[in-house]
Amino acid sequence: MVPSPILLTALVYSFILSLLAMGFTLQYITLSVPNLAYATIAFASTYLTLTFSLMNLSPYVAMPFGFLLGGAISFMLYKFVAFLRNRGTSIVGLMMATIVFDLIIYASMNIYADYLAYVFKLYAGSFSLSEFDFEIFSFPAVLFISGLTSVGLVAFFTLMLVKTKFGVAMRAVMENFNLASVHGINTERILSIAWFFVGGTAGLSGSLYPIWFAMDPWVGARMFISIFAACVIGGLRSIYGSLLGGFIIAFSEVVVTYFLSLYFPWIWAYRAVTSMVIAAFALVEMPSGIAGLIEKLRRG
Amino acid sequence: MFLIDLIMDIIAFFCIYAIITLSLNFQQGYTGIFNLGLYFPIIVGAIITAYLPGRLAMVIYGLDPKLDFSANNALVLSILRSKLSSDPVTSIALLTLTLAAVAIVCYIIGFLSSYPALKLPADYLALFMLCAGESLRVIGMQTDWLAGGVMGITIVNPFWWLGGYSYYGMASFTIISTILIALLYHRLCESPLGRLLKSIRENELTAESVGKDVNGVKRKTLAFSFTILGLAGVLHAFLMGAVVVGGYTRVDFSFWPWLMMIIGGTGNNIGVFLGTFSLVIMRRIMIVGKHYFWFLPFNVVWFEPILLAIMLMVTLVFRPEGILPERSPKIRDYLRKVLKLES
Repeated sequence: MVPSPILLTALVYSFILSLLAMGFTLQYITLSVPNLAYATIAFASTYLTLTFSLMNLSPYVAMPFGFLLGGAISFMLYKFVAFLRNRGTSIVGLMMATIVFDLIIYASMNIYADYLAYVFKLYAGSFSLSEFDFEIFSFPAVLFISGLTSVGLVAFFTLMLVKTKFGVAMRAVMENFNLASVHGINTERILSIAWFFVGGTAGLSGSLYPIWFAMDPWVGARMFISIFAACVIGGLRSIYGSLLGGFIIAFSEVVVTYFLSLYFPWIWAYRAVTSMVIAAFALVEMPSGIAGLIEKLRRG
Repeated sequence: MFLIDLIMDIIAFFCIYAIITLSLNFQQGYTGIFNLGLYFPIIVGAIITAYLPGRLAMVIYGLDPKLDFSANNALVLSILRSKLSSDPVTSIALLTLTLAAVAIVCYIIGFLSSYPALKLPADYLALFMLCAGESLRVIGMQTDWLAGGVMGITIVNPFWWLGGYSYYGMASFTIISTILIALLYHRLCESPLGRLLKSIRENELTAESVGKDVNGVKRKTLAFSFTILGLAGVLHAFLMGAVVVGGYTRVDFSFWPWLMMIIGGTGNNIGVFLGTFSLVIMRRIMIVGKHYFWFLPFNVVWFEPILLAIMLMVTLVFRPEGILPERSPKIRDYLRKVLKLES
């Protein structure tokens, strides 16, 4: 039997990771540019959560602000990338443009952490806010809130993509950018809004992270491995595949590693690497991921 | 003396970064392999340097097997220092063995990692390599016996026999190695292989249609570049005198070399040298100058990534081809032909 703290950790982690993987895939599909700043954008909002906690407010108050922060940064990044793309910059140049944002956010997080340490005399380079959480039916509230946020946002995106005019236009842009613009769709506006929402989702996920997990400015770099692995498992270009990939990677990192650590105790320290091993295996054995597997099964 | 130390320090670090950026240019500038995980083989090189020469020296000098190089690092090193200070032959042998071991291991790793990596589109290959580097960094930080874990480990210096000039010895060795590696890359890039690499970069399908084994060439290019990057890791570790795996970050050992290459000029080795030199000078000045900003409520070192980002942004917007853009082979070949005819 899996002990409850391990199961709780796996659940909270999988809710957060699957949302992040979905957002990363969505941004990739829209511009065909992997956003290297994605994880850092997501975890920038953790410092908002910390700030609210320092003001004796519930960390959950930070969630909408985290959404806005993530959305705003992502929007600016999109504008910069789109500007370069319109000038004919190569894919390498566009990925470098995302690195520009990654570096600025990473440095800003560290400067802010230093500032908090200077003003509040606390070590903001590494922190956890689990003590600020409350309980619902003897379970930590973060379990329900992260779950509801995850399910709610997936439902929102699905309905938006299927039921609204904006969603249909967005799907058209994702399928064929040039054809969509020929048909009179304002592609720039559609993509700006899409990147804002996806960035906001990342910010929302990030603002929940320190309520259960320990946070430091390097979390973004480490989590990027897991996000990438989840996308690879999902099939690189499948939104729902990446959601499933998020759950698989999260459970592998936490639950599978926990069981293995019962026999090989040293393995727990390397749980962050588990996802990379799975991703490398998937690339060799199942390059089209879960999405490809489902497609194959459907075709019989 | 301070000025000589500073100049030597700048030259040595320029050499390390020149090796890294030349390798990057060989992969990206010539072959079109988009690798963001340059620090992966560098960490391999550093870890082997932390692990191998110290333990080999312990065996050679018959130190108590109960002593562990990692756990009893200070004690073991003091004994080894006294032995190696009067034994240049063993010191050089240790250096050579380390370089050979790293070259072999990095070539194999590069070759093996190319199998999943080359199945990916260019952008995901970059991400795969980046994640591989980050994974190895995590492994290195979590494994105490390998390279001292989070705290790191102090290593032997193969030039202790030079006494007070041991740092100069290592720096000179780094300079000579860099010149040799630069000449090797120059020869490779100017040879028919260089043209084959460029043809693959420009159009893989065309290269394949004329019977070239594109994946095979890419695999060998990646493996060779891994080898050279691993050697850069060895030189860096010996130069620093210690290995702290956590210090081998993607910013310092992947993003900075990328900026150096982009600023200098992708596909142009002289441009890459120029970009590397200007940025190494700038970084060393920042490191020396940071003490003047003691009054700020944060560590001024965080301005470094911001500065890097701004420079990258300016380059991408105003001069995406770099200071010295890639030379057109047509014009060069034409000029060569004309000059030959005239002479």
